[in-house]
Amino acid sequence: MRRYFARKLITYGFTFFAAVTIDWVIPHLMPGDPILNLMSKLQIKDQATFNAIYNTYAKGFRSNLPLWKQYYYFWVSLFHGNLGISVSTNFPTPVTTLIQRAAPYTLGLLIPAILLSWFAGNKVGAMAARRKVLDNSVLPVSYALTATPYQWLALVVAWLLAFIFPFFPIGRGYDIGAIPQYSFTFFFDLLKHWFLPFFSLFLVYFGGWAIGMRNMIIYELESDYSHYLEALGAPRRLVRKYAFRNAVLPQVTGLALQLGAVLAGALVTEIVFTYPGLGFLLYNAILNQDYFIIQGVFLLIIIGVLIANFVVDIAYVLIDPRARIGMQGGQA
Amino acid sequence: MVSRRKLAVSIGIVAVAAVSLLAANWAGAQGKASSLPRNQLLITSGTAWGAESNFNPFGGGWATGMVGLVNETLLRYDPLTDKYIPWLATKAGFNGKNYVIQVRNGVKFSNGKKLTAGVVVSDLKFGAIKTAYWNTLYKTVKKLKVKGNTITVSFKGKPSYIQWQNLMWNLPIVWPGQFSGINATNFTTLGSAAGWAPIGTGPYVLDTSASDPATGVVWQKRSAKSWWAAAKKVASSPAPTYIQDLVNTSNTNALEGLLKNIEDLNNNYLPGIQTLVSKGQAQTYFPGKPYDLAANTAWLEVNTAKASSPALGDPKFRRALAEAVNSYKITGSGDYDGITTVANQTGLLKVWKKWIDQKQVNKLGFKVADVTAAKADLAAAGYKVGSNGFVNNKDGSKLSLTIEVPSGWSDWEAARSIIVSGERAAGIDVNVVTGSQGQVQTTDRNQGKYDLEVDNAYQISDNPWTYFNGIFHLPIITTGSGQTFANYGRYSNPTAWAMVKKLDQTPPTDVKGRKTLLSALEKVELTQVPIIPLWYNGIWSQTQSKYWKNWPSSTKKGMHFIPCMWGGYLQMTGIDTITHIKKA
Repeated sequence: MRRYFARKLITYGFTFFAAVTIDWVIPHLMPGDPILNLMSKLQIKDQATFNAIYNTYAKGFRSNLPLWKQYYYFWVSLFHGNLGISVSTNFPTPVTTLIQRAAPYTLGLLIPAILLSWFAGNKVGAMAARRKVLDNSVLPVSYALTATPYQWLALVVAWLLAFIFPFFPIGRGYDIGAIPQYSFTFFFDLLKHWFLPFFSLFLVYFGGWAIGMRNMIIYELESDYSHYLEALGAPRRLVRKYAFRNAVLPQVTGLALQLGAVLAGALVTEIVFTYPGLGFLLYNAILNQDYFIIQGVFLLIIIGVLIANFVVDIAYVLIDPRARIGMQGGQA
Repeated sequence: MVSRRKLAVSIGIVAVAAVSLLAANWAGAQGKASSLPRNQLLITSGTAWGAESNFNPFGGGWATGMVGLVNETLLRYDPLTDKYIPWLATKAGFNGKNYVIQVRNGVKFSNGKKLTAGVVVSDLKFGAIKTAYWNTLYKTVKKLKVKGNTITVSFKGKPSYIQWQNLMWNLPIVWPGQFSGINATNFTTLGSAAGWAPIGTGPYVLDTSASDPATGVVWQKRSAKSWWAAAKKVASSPAPTYIQDLVNTSNTNALEGLLKNIEDLNNNYLPGIQTLVSKGQAQTYFPGKPYDLAANTAWLEVNTAKASSPALGDPKFRRALAEAVNSYKITGSGDYDGITTVANQTGLLKVWKKWIDQKQVNKLGFKVADVTAAKADLAAAGYKVGSNGFVNNKDGSKLSLTIEVPSGWSDWEAARSIIVSGERAAGIDVNVVTGSQGQVQTTDRNQGKYDLEVDNAYQISDNPWTYFNGIFHLPIITTGSGQTFANYGRYSNPTAWAMVKKLDQTPPTDVKGRKTLLSALEKVELTQVPIIPLWYNGIWSQTQSKYWKNWPSSTKKGMHFIPCMWGGYLQMTGIDTITHIKKA
């Protein structure tokens, strides 16, 4: 067991190092100089003032240093929990503050969307596998939902439920003029703005989970152990129960990976609905060449994916006896 | 297998965690009303594109309204009447070579402290910090002498009359005690820390509980007695109790915000605003064309020093380039369709009309949208048409130029197409190169890697000096970041640059001298065509009257103000917009 985890940790450590390095390299390959964008607001009229301010900023952002030194200080800052300060439209707000403001919107949107769609998709997919009527209706709908480009589906949802039938608002996390606070009024306001992005995501995820589960159940029901159980006279319900347990394994992997990439999944949703989460923050950071925000958000994604993979490794040991036995040196 | 109960608990935990994290940002709001009363709230947008949490008025990224609503200036400037408005100074101007400031009595900051001549001097002295934007100008100051409420500024040598006067209506007066820790490093960042409440003399203070940096800043009105201008009847007390300036999310959202009466004043560029105005769904400063006042001139920047395209260094070729552009089509069709107007050949804004030597323009200016004239000029200058149907360089080598605008700037992209077709019709091979704003402006423009580029770097001000300083600025930097704030065309004309400096040092009383110099600079522009003026970009401004009425309008007497919240515009009569609007 210890050897197994030690090996995993080394793999994750190396992956983390490589991914974070790429996270640092990519923004630096973008054309342009973010400090110059920042300074364009100052309406400077002479070279001496320009040089003084530019050099101060360059020193502050360490962009005056050779690349290897910038890379070194990036790691040093990272281990101090310092992700730098925004170098564009959010200047001079620290990236950690911006992430702290945006993360709740993203987590509050995606985690319920993923978990609920996983739960509902698996249930409906499993049911579809054994009922012809459901299979003929749920399957095509699920395929349609999954195959629809998300941004298009989101636009249709927004058009239907915000314009044609204006039940829900789009844009921002809450109504303009509302004062953020703990109150039912404000919570309801948040919910109103949360619903459309949540619902559009739920629909897309739901289709994927339902198809996956339906196919897996059919596969399991056709496997030898199911036929054997049936031949032994086991009740149909018991056979399905075993089939479901085996079918859900890949779905658990998928769920964990999706939860790990939860932050990345928000990008298009938050752009379409201008929802103020991490995806929207990242989108604007890319447009404005804000190295530090890009690095900060991607760092979260990297950490999320790695943790999720690690959790999957552990979960498999717990829920799949074959993996447990295999790890202990036995054969399934 | 995850049970339903476990799933519900998981979702619950996530929801509580998310709300708790959000609440951590909103800790100050408990016990307040759930929303600001809409009939007391003015909602503006179109200025901020990021967190509104910087309350340092000396940098460039401060929360909308910091200068104008909170921190005020000694003077204000009205570009529509070309007059300075005494504000925190009852009088300020040059007396010979000295600048005399009479600081207004009875003005108090929001912390209760008095505005004195000493306070103003302390603020001016921040200019000694090398990263202060007026540092170079401050270095020309010899002495700041205080006597009672009067400050006399003397200068080393000839004063920079124009720049100093410009500073007087742009420098925000702050409570110096709050900035005692300011230095070269934190000059633009001090004031962004959580809990920093800006102190000013203006009519509004920060509403810390309603402000949310990601959504927008909220300003709360000081009582009528507290704001000196209302107390002294210099201005009316503003009607809105609150002003919320929203962080922009997208132009589409801005349009929706305006149409749904979410926003009262919007300063985004909104294509198709003509239709909304004609349907009565929004109002603009002018009821018809051009709808908005002009903020700056958009021009075709020509890289006059591009070694691989020597024709660009030839003023005769640049004149032909200018003549081939159909600016009437750019302003009268497509995205603009009448919301912009064709620029004067000097590029000077209409507010600088008194400085434009129109007779000279008529005599020397290039012919706008005249492909025939462009062809004739090319032929006369010795540019011969090659086998591909386009003119070659004079040495017979192929001449093929590129044009750039930042990707996604749809109005400029539409203009680019018209420019290209005009140039090609005149026999000049121009091809589109696409790139992000960073690529086009920072890399290509600043480092001189472009041929042609649309730009609008210099804004409306109290003197055309700011415009010509931008065009003729020397020396040209060829290393490092390159040309970063002026003369992107790398046009080297030491005589013109000397005239720009001389203009700055010409006293305001010498109107004739200023006119002569400006006329000479305009002549350089008209004959050498270092840049090609195309059209006037608007001070984009759309208003709604559901909650607030009496917006500025060209047709209403006494309401000729600029309805704009952009940085620098509140002291250019933007504040008059705020003090004149009334509850609908």
